[in-house]
Amino acid sequence: MSDPELKSKVEELIAGHPVLLFMKGTPEAPRCGFSMRVVQVLDTMDVDYGAIDVLPALQPLREVTAEISDWQTFPQLYVNGELVGGADIVEEMYASGELAEALGVEQPANGLQAAPPAQSPPLQIE
Amino acid sequence: MIEAALPGAEVEVIDETGAGDHLRATVTAPQFEGLSRIDQHRLVKGAVVDRFEDGQIHALSIRTSVPGR
Repeated sequence: MSDPELKSKVEELIAGHPVLLFMKGTPEAPRCGFSMRVVQVLDTMDVDYGAIDVLPALQPLREVTAEISDWQTFPQLYVNGELVGGADIVEEMYASGELAEALGVEQPANGLQAAPPAQSPPLQIE
Repeated sequence: MIEAALPGAEVEVIDETGAGDHLRATVTAPQFEGLSRIDQHRLVKGAVVDRFEDGQIHALSIRTSVPGR
């Protein structure tokens, strides 16, 4: 059973953003390769999207998305309130042109842009 | 496990790291006909959920298709 307050917050976010990405880290500094791959696709598509960093509340958010979408792994891309998929599906749909169709944008001509420079978190030396 | 859950499926699993916990599965199954990609992936993940829960698999990349496509 997920936290009802968090669940309604997540439902509001999904309803309030036509394109919403739940990811590990931020678009500027992804903390997971799968999340980075989805950010790269979305940046290439040149769409506005909301991004939620799931790391601060990973387990509670897993429980929420398990109930909402029957999906527990991140990243998760929602378009118009529906879960589209994680990195594998997003890349496959990008390659086939289905993602551009779902997002209502033109398929970019130049292919995937180079990955943004990786920003590692500051090193901590105890 | 995937073949047991999806009779008639063609399944190829690649061990990406050699450690057996990061896998890539390519699944072609008649059951996928008419389903969205996310629903196709749900079927595959559902078949291996026990291995995620017991920690034997950490990451699974999935590619699905319908036979003859």
